[in-house]
Amino acid sequence: MHKEIVEFLNAQVPGCEATLVEAEVGDSTIFIQPSHIKAASLALRDSEKFQMNVLQVITGCDYEDRIEVSYILASFIFNTELILKVKLPKTDKDATVQIDSIVEVWTAADFQERECYDMIGVVFDGHPDFRRILCPEDWKGYPLRKDYVVEEVYNGMVVNPENKMNHEDHYFYKKIQEEQEDPKKVTFSWKD
Amino acid sequence: MIDLQAETPEKTEKIKSDLLTVNMGPQHPATHGVLRVEIKTDSEIVAEATPYLGYLHRCMEKHSENLDYRGVIPFVDRMDYLGSMSMEWGYALTIEKMLGTEVPRRAEYIRTIVGELQRVASHLMFFGTYAIDLGAFSPFLYAFQDREDILRIFEELSGARLLYNYIWIGGVWNDINDDQLRRIAKFCDTMEENLKKYHTLVGGNAIFIGRTANVGVISEEMAYRYGATGPVLRGSGIDWDLRKKRPYGLYEELDFDVIVGKGEKGQVGDCWDRYQVRVLEMFESIKIIRQCLDGIEEGPIIGKVPKIIKVPAGEIYMRTECPRGELGYHLISDGGKTPYRLKVKSSCFTHVSMLGEMAPGQMIADFVASIGSIDIVLGEVDR
Repeated sequence: MHKEIVEFLNAQVPGCEATLVEAEVGDSTIFIQPSHIKAASLALRDSEKFQMNVLQVITGCDYEDRIEVSYILASFIFNTELILKVKLPKTDKDATVQIDSIVEVWTAADFQERECYDMIGVVFDGHPDFRRILCPEDWKGYPLRKDYVVEEVYNGMVVNPENKMNHEDHYFYKKIQEEQEDPKKVTFSWKD
Repeated sequence: MIDLQAETPEKTEKIKSDLLTVNMGPQHPATHGVLRVEIKTDSEIVAEATPYLGYLHRCMEKHSENLDYRGVIPFVDRMDYLGSMSMEWGYALTIEKMLGTEVPRRAEYIRTIVGELQRVASHLMFFGTYAIDLGAFSPFLYAFQDREDILRIFEELSGARLLYNYIWIGGVWNDINDDQLRRIAKFCDTMEENLKKYHTLVGGNAIFIGRTANVGVISEEMAYRYGATGPVLRGSGIDWDLRKKRPYGLYEELDFDVIVGKGEKGQVGDCWDRYQVRVLEMFESIKIIRQCLDGIEEGPIIGKVPKIIKVPAGEIYMRTECPRGELGYHLISDGGKTPYRLKVKSSCFTHVSMLGEMAPGQMIADFVASIGSIDIVLGEVDR
């Protein structure tokens, strides 16, 4: 099915450069150019052959040089699903990346795009009500980026107070995870 | 002296155009947790509603990036705390599919039994709290009495009443004994009898029908547009159940029906339809449990899983049918001991986004009925 979709997208949306990444384990994915996301989703939704009528998730994943946004679509008519992905290169470490919003194609994208912005820092152009959704409005940074550092003080409140954290346990388990390769030695029980 | 006659037209116009902003929640009993809905009302009529989320946000997805694959299971429990077993099952399936682990038959039977018991428990919770939303208190007590039986069985199996950590990667960690199986069989009998009573008591009640029929209608087109799943989608008259369409576990071999809303008391997709779908689904669950009790086999309860789990690099999106709708895990692995990225697709998150479109034109009390009918758990919405 994936190969047909790639052919279909390349024919219907010129310039989207759809490529198939076939996986040995798990699901195969299709990468397209970020500038054509709206046209591609419209084409997939309206096509007679695929009828991707439901948007399940929009989610992002942070890598060193880029952010990959996955659009997981599903057809409840043909019982198929598709992971459509775009690569958005990061110019600066903390900067946001931009892509067109697809709220007009599926209303489900409304909350999903807001969550993606809140957690990963992807700005969706043309979203009708664009703001954070899970974190407070004045939160700084994007928590699911790999280089995110938790602020020590938020609005005058200490985020991780010393008396509420069990540092010893935390570092003990971390050390075990990093150092011990022999599974017989890792019991994760009490220290002594 | 003020000329009242002269001022009247101006006054009435002003009263009409003024909207009152009211905050429902985050501590409102009708919101089933910590959901805040900012509603603009024109006297009793809701003109606009905006849901605000995040009061229970714990960033579980970030936590899971620092835990090994087994360590994530207690965290997925805490997302949907009324459907913990189903959450665990979905996660275990995701990892098993990537590892290619084979789950023993006995474990599959136990998983199906506890999964369906969890569905009954969760729908009983809905049944009780929804009646409270609409002003009837006693169904809540009946529902909790029966839910208690399920929790007792779960407590014996896993040692916990709410957050089980029972379904592990490769199987389950504790075997079920004959006494427990007998008690589950007995529970099925009493539950079926009771459920018939409850359904007549609440579903046949004229006030209940008046409060729910033709209220909060979700059309087929709207359900697809928002990506609704589970009982909400089936309530809108769409025959879609992942247990039938993409069978996992033992569902392929089991015989059960998919309940679809038909608009018996009003339009298709109203609150009454969603209520009916959930109640009738409990009968189907009991049917499934009975078949599992008849067919359960002896054997091991956990398959062969390496001591330290390393999932091969790649990605997967796995969907399962939870009590509240479709649960999806999108796992990206880089071949290490921890997930590189684990995204949880929660059905409640999707359903909450529908409130903004359902609200305009409803009475405030009807809006409460609408919130209740989509059966949200805020732990799963905020994750």
